[in-house]
Amino acid sequence: MGYTSPFLRASVVVLIALVCFAAPPCDGHFVQAQTRQKAQPKAPRKYSCPMHPEVKSTRRGRCPKCGMTLRLVTDKADSPIAADAPPSNFPGVIIDTTAASSLQIPDVPVLDQSGKQLNFYSDLVKGKTVAINFIFTTCTTICPPLTATFRRVQQDLKTKAVDAQLISVSVDPTIDTPERLRDYAAKFRAEPGWTFVTGSKSEIDSLLQALGVAVVNKNDHTPMILIGNDAAKFWTRAYGLSSPTALIKTITEAAEHK
Amino acid sequence: MKRWITLKDFLLVAGLVFFVALVCRPENTVNAQDPLASAERRGKQIYVLGTSASGKDIFAYVGEGSIEVPASTMACASCHGLDGQGKPEGGVSPSNLSWEALTKPYGLAHPDGRRHPAYTERGVELAVTRGTDPGGNRLQNVMPRYQMSKEDLADLIAYIKLLGKDRDPGISETKIVIGGMIPATGGLTEMGQAVKAVTTAYFDDLNSQGGIYNRKVELKFVETADTPVGTRANLERMLKEDQIFAMTGAFMAGSEKEVSSLLAQYEVPSVGPFTLFPQIEYPLNRQVFYLLSGIDGQTRVLANFVAGKPEFKNSSLMVVYPRSDFNRNMLESIKDQSIKAGLKPPTVYEYAPGSFDALAVVKQLNQSDPGKPLFFLGNTEDLLSLLQRAAEANWFPTVVAAGAGVGSQILSAPAGFDHKVFIAFPTSPADQSAEGMKEFRALAEKHKLPSTHLAAQISAFTAAKILTEALKRVGKDASREKLIQTLEGLYEYQTGLTPAITFGPNRRIGAMGSYVVTIDLKQKQFVPASGWINVGK
Repeated sequence: MGYTSPFLRASVVVLIALVCFAAPPCDGHFVQAQTRQKAQPKAPRKYSCPMHPEVKSTRRGRCPKCGMTLRLVTDKADSPIAADAPPSNFPGVIIDTTAASSLQIPDVPVLDQSGKQLNFYSDLVKGKTVAINFIFTTCTTICPPLTATFRRVQQDLKTKAVDAQLISVSVDPTIDTPERLRDYAAKFRAEPGWTFVTGSKSEIDSLLQALGVAVVNKNDHTPMILIGNDAAKFWTRAYGLSSPTALIKTITEAAEHK
Repeated sequence: MKRWITLKDFLLVAGLVFFVALVCRPENTVNAQDPLASAERRGKQIYVLGTSASGKDIFAYVGEGSIEVPASTMACASCHGLDGQGKPEGGVSPSNLSWEALTKPYGLAHPDGRRHPAYTERGVELAVTRGTDPGGNRLQNVMPRYQMSKEDLADLIAYIKLLGKDRDPGISETKIVIGGMIPATGGLTEMGQAVKAVTTAYFDDLNSQGGIYNRKVELKFVETADTPVGTRANLERMLKEDQIFAMTGAFMAGSEKEVSSLLAQYEVPSVGPFTLFPQIEYPLNRQVFYLLSGIDGQTRVLANFVAGKPEFKNSSLMVVYPRSDFNRNMLESIKDQSIKAGLKPPTVYEYAPGSFDALAVVKQLNQSDPGKPLFFLGNTEDLLSLLQRAAEANWFPTVVAAGAGVGSQILSAPAGFDHKVFIAFPTSPADQSAEGMKEFRALAEKHKLPSTHLAAQISAFTAAKILTEALKRVGKDASREKLIQTLEGLYEYQTGLTPAITFGPNRRIGAMGSYVVTIDLKQKQFVPASGWINVGK
């Protein structure tokens, strides 16, 4: 199976984004934002990530994608969309639909937290709406908040009766045995409908590669969530430490996508 | 003349004073076994584990949505580290929590542009409970707000003031205290003394070469008692009173559960305990590192060995065992390993311990499964009577035996079982390299070590060697946690006296495998039947 390199896709997105910013108006969003700017002659200061120009903020802070400190933008070519962007201290959902919509999920054999053998695509994703995050049980800094967010998302999805499944894929399959995942799931009181996935290193590596989240060092893994509706072939990415409300909105939209 | 004597007396008195000073140092008294005051110790528990010594709940609230989770899932140390320096990951850089950093008189500027005046105790309280810094800014959104009692909060702050300055028990600038446990009962006293002698000799030599990063190793020994509970109590007394940093070659046989759980409770890393029954059930006991496979590993090796014989292709094992929880677990291991090795699931014959009817067993099995290999889990006596009855029935099946009790009496089996009975050994003379033996012999000669109980001595020597190697790799800034992580990183370490040792985050047996030997009934000896059979990942 040949997939376009995630890096290649990412750079295409960046290119598209740049073209949009340079040649307005490219969508309704822009017009709306511009109107707002007219009403507020004192434009707020704008900050942007040197690596991810699509990340905009009105406050100092860090890039939610790479962690770099945001820089003050003085350039006129800067997109006024920034005014709409959420403050980076509480980043909203950053959607990157273009990159993810062409995603193909491989059907690799994996193990769930009870040790049951599953095929990733056909058993967990096929025909469903899913949200996938990437964790490892010995990770201590970002995985607990990521997992806690997922726990809240699961509860809220239940009360809102949104039919979506949660998946947490271990990026450290050699250490994360099904037993470890089971304990981890229990710690965060995960309920049925939330599958923790591990497997052989090579299978999991190929899965991570295909999902565009492969990293050399597990400590570099990004707090990214993949949200998709397989039936509608709709995929999007979101920042994993976004508020549960924002994530629920994205998941609901994905579920309703036709 | 008298002057000289006076000088001598003076030296003697000085020596005595020094000795008295030594035994009266506060850390040698019972009440000060822990270097931390009680509030700080309770605070450390909150910092490291996210739980309160009082048993009261502590909750963490994460992010905008204030998601409630138990604080144990997000303890301070998870992000800020045991030393408080912060562990950056995935684009999040947790702040340095050392008290000096928090209270810099000119305040702090963070990389994200946040600025605020110096923290005070009240400021830290607000940061922990409300998520704001002394400048009134919100902290990073992955920093939870915690809800805990006033007392717990005060304890936590008492400990935060100490962050990076407190040490584990048993380690100071100049010494590191290592504990040993030797048997003192059941005819094992002499072996215990041999183990004590070799361990003492090893660390004396190490100390004479400068110790480990200028720290002298101080050895403390405790003896086992008649009962597991007594042994546990003896060990607990030593751990409390002598501040043991780590243990080496502890004699755990017979009290495995009691001793290993105590070591976990006191968080004392332990290398190379003496036992045939490593406690490796899930959840993992992180503190105890075994060198060789126990009965479970040997059982798996034998299943693999049988599966590798062409005559048993697609066959299955016939497991005969006296009823016990332990043997039922062994049966599960045999089942699991049979399937992995390509055999069919085993058939079983269970009997009541102490009432083994060899004749009945032979009658039944000789009829139902005469060609199947037998897997025997009972003691040597039962095994010998089985072999006797089988020989009388002119039935000579292949027998593999894994059992704590299978000893050299098996060499008196009927002649027809020559080269038909197989036993697993976790190590063999082949593992002893010339260099490894030279090192051991040099130590034995120099310190006039006893010439008996060589196996036990070599085992204790290897344990001491591995612990020393790990302590050297940890570096000067040693802690128990770092020692455990370093041991987990040990890969194919050649001791020169045992198979290569590998540990891992999920692996606590250094050499996961065994050799298989068979019986040569003409020469009355064990002869190798296989090379090293590895059952580790």
